[in-house]
Amino acid sequence: MQRSSRLALFHYWVAFAVFLPAALLGAWQMLVRSPLPAPLDDSAAYYASVTLHGTAMAYVVTTFFIMGFGYALAATSLARPLRGMTAAWIGFAICLAGTLMAVVAILAGRASVLYTFYPPLLASGWYYGGAFLLIAGSMIWVVLMILNMRAWKRDNPARPVPLPMFAITATAILWAWSATPTLIELGGILLPRAFGWSDLIDASLARTLFSVTLHSIVYFWLMPAYIAFYTLVPLAAGGRMYSDTMGRLAFIMLFVFSLPVGMHHLLMDPEHGSGFKFLQSFLTFLVVLPTLLTVFSTCASLEIAGRIRGGRGLLGWIGALPWNEPMVLAVGLSLVMLGFGGFGGLINMSFAMNAMIHNTSWVTAHFHLMFGGAVVIMYFAIAYEMWPRITGKPLRSKTLARAQLWLWFFGMLITTIPWHIAGLMGQPRRVAAFDYADPLLARMGPLVVISVIGGVILLASAILLIVILARSHFGARVATEPLGYATAVNPPIRLPPALNGFGLWNAIVAVLMLLAYGYPIGQFFFMKPHSVPAVAVTGRPDSSRQP
Amino acid sequence: MVREQGPFKHSNPWPHIAWITVAAVSIASFLIGFLVLGRIQQNGPALGGWAALCRAIGITADRGPASEPQPPQRTPTRIAWTQDTLARIGSGKEQHGAFVALSCAACHGEGGVSSSALFPTLAGMNAAAIYKQLDDFRSGKRVWAAMGAIATALSDQDSADVAAYFAHRPSGLAPVAGEGKPRGGRSLRQRDPAIRLVFAGDPERGIPPCAACHGPDAERLGAPALQGQHAEYIERQLAAFAQGVRQNDINEQMRVIAHELKPSEMHAVAGFYGTAGEHE
Repeated sequence: MQRSSRLALFHYWVAFAVFLPAALLGAWQMLVRSPLPAPLDDSAAYYASVTLHGTAMAYVVTTFFIMGFGYALAATSLARPLRGMTAAWIGFAICLAGTLMAVVAILAGRASVLYTFYPPLLASGWYYGGAFLLIAGSMIWVVLMILNMRAWKRDNPARPVPLPMFAITATAILWAWSATPTLIELGGILLPRAFGWSDLIDASLARTLFSVTLHSIVYFWLMPAYIAFYTLVPLAAGGRMYSDTMGRLAFIMLFVFSLPVGMHHLLMDPEHGSGFKFLQSFLTFLVVLPTLLTVFSTCASLEIAGRIRGGRGLLGWIGALPWNEPMVLAVGLSLVMLGFGGFGGLINMSFAMNAMIHNTSWVTAHFHLMFGGAVVIMYFAIAYEMWPRITGKPLRSKTLARAQLWLWFFGMLITTIPWHIAGLMGQPRRVAAFDYADPLLARMGPLVVISVIGGVILLASAILLIVILARSHFGARVATEPLGYATAVNPPIRLPPALNGFGLWNAIVAVLMLLAYGYPIGQFFFMKPHSVPAVAVTGRPDSSRQP
Repeated sequence: MVREQGPFKHSNPWPHIAWITVAAVSIASFLIGFLVLGRIQQNGPALGGWAALCRAIGITADRGPASEPQPPQRTPTRIAWTQDTLARIGSGKEQHGAFVALSCAACHGEGGVSSSALFPTLAGMNAAAIYKQLDDFRSGKRVWAAMGAIATALSDQDSADVAAYFAHRPSGLAPVAGEGKPRGGRSLRQRDPAIRLVFAGDPERGIPPCAACHGPDAERLGAPALQGQHAEYIERQLAAFAQGVRQNDINEQMRVIAHELKPSEMHAVAGFYGTAGEHE
């Protein structure tokens, strides 16, 4: 096994080891907030569980998966050993230590802040310290991705950077921009308060900083799925990539337009003016462009494959596609969920319409459908594609893999569609207990019960995923082809520098961030003191100076 | 394309296209967001350009006092949880507090562990809660026989000191600590009204769970921990809040909650806290 393969495998192990218990918690949470009887129905446990489920799924699974994916991608797409292996292992260890710290704090009931870093809610310093280490450790990965791309460019001055490497570097740079404000929030505001070095907390500044991360992080999660759309799906379907240039453009636009838009998470917050809220809502709409480009390009790539395989007529190519390949099936299911979720997202990001669904179950349903559905199903497909190539042990049964993907797809739709409707009826999110005897809530009861059924299906699918990977892992080793990437119909020979590097785009992002966040963040430094006492949610924060 | 060109070199079209697009988008959204929408999206008459701009960046002009006549203001307490208040409470010295506390022992018991249901146990109570009650007694926001006179005799620093002293006395109220182990039945499905109200509240009547502020697992600044307090004392305070005899809760939350509670529920909840924290 190549050294970088082992590195990627360790990252995947952590990601999927965390995924299964987190899925179990998710199903239990659905049950607790439903009208059905539930074991261990303790409201405090519900909030701790939401914190653990969210932290695990949103920060741990994603970060480890994407780091592992990046290492594997860099080594295989550049076709040379990864540079900086020692640093990569150190980063892995830091992230793992941070994860353990955070998990211990949550399990001790001292961090039930619902996984977002929104003061004045305050958790234990161990939780914030753990989150800080997890994010800081992932910055080593960011640096390694950039360095590996640079080194390759230096050694191959006349060739364009392969699209997978270009895209994963875009992901890394996006993550660096995205995570920095939260690192500042953790290091500058939350940790000092949690350790008791200050009594008050600047909640508005902290919320604003977190909002910068909160939207772009979603694109950090999404990018691996898009990378698979462009570079893995066409190959699995037996065709070619429709356009390499379109891929580069899409990744660049995702990078540029996912950053100066986080304020649509603060549309109901009073600390910002309506002008900046509108500006960022407006910029958020532009993210639709790279998404539509990608949907178009992915469909075009699939059509090429379908026609190569003998598909005829306007839609005949769809039937000719190899739907028995998990990767091809996953992209089909993913695009359906992306479509449903995307339309919901348009409402969330609209300055005016957002007020209808603010803080309701609609929001939770939306990001489960987008991230838990459209994105994570591609993570599964990537794992099915990469795992055998890394370990040399193929999947025992593609039928089981397809069944797992279908279960996830239906489970996610059954969970999220009623959840959306309950949100429209006004059901608040992040609430443990609903009194369904109340006539206002009674009509939400059946919807919530359907969601519970979806949750159980999702849990079954999560278990099946681990079974499939474990069966492959303990199977026999066979010679497998190394991971390959789709070539474009017209492979790039010469590219403008702007499509082969990130200098220009970093400058543009810097200017946009200054326009969008310069005043909103800057205002807190010349406003009258406006900090508030923090609210420790469970118990006393560790070693706090709380009187 | 041998080397990457700097973002500001205009020798190839991409930087041009990118910068012009970004500038156009930014200018358009600034114009719409800061001038057009700011002017027309008002319930009242359209704003002028300058007022619209101010509103768009978050400086609202309507900050002056309301012109309508207002009822006379009544503040439930003089305490606000500001930096100054927290710093003053934090500066409490236990040693001097022990001296001040000599005059408390007659009613509140040796070391703040009261043996009479008439007086609350103070040992282990949050310092901020004790400090606030002392100030409320001093200012007459809370009224109880001798306490007004006693509190008036104490300086601000004395209050902080004695609060620090009692906060650190053992064997009184149970310490509030995040509890890891989930226990079934702490939800609205619970049949026992005491446990249901303490851990799940009653959303239909707008009653939040007592445990969210008063322990055993969570606390809120200024709210006393209750586990181990005398049940009779708790029940009497709930009745006082319900009847409006006691009015020193900052946001009126205890008056609202107590008003919604039936006498039997007050008894049950007080009994829960009174017995659950009984110390051997």
